[in-house]
Amino acid sequence: MNDRRNTIEREADVTQAWFAPSADRRSLLDRAHRGDIVGALGRVPSADTSPRPWYRRRIATLLAIMGPGVIVLVADNDAGGVSTYAQVGQNYGLRFLWLLVVMAGVLLVNQEMVGRLGAVTGAGHARLIYERFGRRWGTFALGDLLIVNFLVIVTEFIGIALALGYFGVSRYISVPLAALVLIALPVAGRFRRWERAMYLLVAASFVAVPLLVLVHHSTPLAPVPAGPRHLAPENTVFMVIALIGTTVAPWQLFFQQSNVVDKRITARWLRYELADTVAGTLFFTLGAVAILVACALAFAAPPLHGAFVDASTVAGELRNQAGQWAGALFAVALLNGSILGAAAVTLSASYAIGDVTGTKHSLHRTWRDAPKFHGSYAALVVLAATIVLIPKAPLGIVTTGVQALAGVLLPSALVFLLLLCNDRAVLGPWVNARWLNVIAATVVAVLLVLSGLLTISTLFPHAENGWLVTAVLMISAGVLGVLFGLRLSSQDVPSPPGSDPPGKQVWTMPPIETLPSPVRSPARTIALLVLRAYLLLAVLAVVIKVFGLIAAS
Amino acid sequence: MRRSGPGRAAESQLSEAVAERLADVMFALSTPSRVLILGCLLEGPRSVGDLTSILGMEQSSVSHQLRVLREHTLVRAERVGRQRLYGLYDEHVVALLRAGLDHVEGRDQPTAGDSAHPALGDQTAGMPTG
Repeated sequence: MNDRRNTIEREADVTQAWFAPSADRRSLLDRAHRGDIVGALGRVPSADTSPRPWYRRRIATLLAIMGPGVIVLVADNDAGGVSTYAQVGQNYGLRFLWLLVVMAGVLLVNQEMVGRLGAVTGAGHARLIYERFGRRWGTFALGDLLIVNFLVIVTEFIGIALALGYFGVSRYISVPLAALVLIALPVAGRFRRWERAMYLLVAASFVAVPLLVLVHHSTPLAPVPAGPRHLAPENTVFMVIALIGTTVAPWQLFFQQSNVVDKRITARWLRYELADTVAGTLFFTLGAVAILVACALAFAAPPLHGAFVDASTVAGELRNQAGQWAGALFAVALLNGSILGAAAVTLSASYAIGDVTGTKHSLHRTWRDAPKFHGSYAALVVLAATIVLIPKAPLGIVTTGVQALAGVLLPSALVFLLLLCNDRAVLGPWVNARWLNVIAATVVAVLLVLSGLLTISTLFPHAENGWLVTAVLMISAGVLGVLFGLRLSSQDVPSPPGSDPPGKQVWTMPPIETLPSPVRSPARTIALLVLRAYLLLAVLAVVIKVFGLIAAS
Repeated sequence: MRRSGPGRAAESQLSEAVAERLADVMFALSTPSRVLILGCLLEGPRSVGDLTSILGMEQSSVSHQLRVLREHTLVRAERVGRQRLYGLYDEHVVALLRAGLDHVEGRDQPTAGDSAHPALGDQTAGMPTG
């Protein structure tokens, strides 16, 4: 008997020598977050840690792991996104096309960081903020996320109502129907089924390309005017800020981190997850650019140029300019983006709630298995759909509120993200490289200024925001960002380039409650001080606005 | 059921759903800090403040782990006066923990296992050796 036992033990040793140990993330809150990766297009067993020397095998692995990045980035072209691209194209031609490319880079940097946080720690974004910045910041981040998400879902339902309204469907039919579809998506408790449904929506988002081709063929190639003469410069600044505000949204950070955890992607697969995020960024850029350019080409002539009303009038005008199909394709792009956006935004809220309250939260679980996860998801959808159906609901205020609140939340989320990605206790060998810190800190600083301007100009549409002031603020923010990024990395020991320290592939965060409290570095103190000052300013602006409204009425 | 043919069902009496639920409960025991909290509760109901001072953990993480334990029906809360006391869910949990502790502590004597559990011999005999 002892012989036999020895044989078994020896075999265990051999197995360990053949395969690297799989990384077991020790801060998971749900057993469903542990196990085989079951993606829409493939499967990676949790025990499979063998190297992948052949391209065929690598591609199969990539297909299995791909998902969180592609879904979150294509979902970015949602109701708000599609109508903003159409607006920018119609009113400004191709003048701001470059901005979309810059935004794609910003998105890639942000989403790569959250994907890494999810794979290495196994914890959601909200929980990391709670644990590393304390209960007060955590509650603030979660509360703000839930409010903004709710408002965004309302705008998605408005998008659905407008898109199906183009085909003559009453909103009293289209909105409840869409709500049912949304609730049905995750209810089966099968991750693969949910991801396949998302992939269908991702595939449908490519209708933007035939739309562009159609418009290009049916409109005479007129030189696209650089910009309308009659629009005041402050409107232009507002437009730029709104474009950025709808593109870079905080729910994307929470969504991708939790979805990576839920999909059971560990640090070993981070290279594939990066490829996933890059693919998503390309798809995002393709969709956004196609819509913007299509609207710029179709509305280059004077009567329609610069005369944006809303997304449904764009569809009607496209039909007049480029034929039946163009209008229909635009409406389909709007509908598809709204549904995909609503699915992802709602899920990011449910993930965050489960993450903070310690309840089961996984797409691998059925309704009976995780009632609070599915229940909070359904409640959000039903509530948002109901508000859209109330006659004379103040939907204009919702759209304004989304932009103002997103302006408050986004920079704070990015400050936390940047600090978390430099926290050695959390990411160990996976902390940000110095060059990434410089880029990310510059992005955060510039977005902080832009969002501040967005908040102010949303609340005070008549405030003067000249190009000069904006440019000076941008440049100084950029310089400060570079300095701050260098500062963030200065305490690090530089590792030799091109070589990973041993064990990096399987490094995971120790159980989160056993971590030492965060190092009080000057960079951290500065960042949190700036954040406090920024929030104070934003709240002050809101309070002044509310008092102004009360005084006016 | 996901992959349970008739042959599978005959092999084991556990249904897959029950196995999943048990695995969930065991998952809740898979972090030392949660086991420490449960160990404290073996001696009787405690408040969050008690647990924090006994274990020297932060209050927020004690509360968080208690929420996880409640989600997995290992712990329940009771209101006693103005205080909220946490106790083990029922007798099964007490037995489960005691059995677990016995199991871990019994490992210190390597020979005891062989003689005390003849059934184990049968099982290893059936294992493939090749």
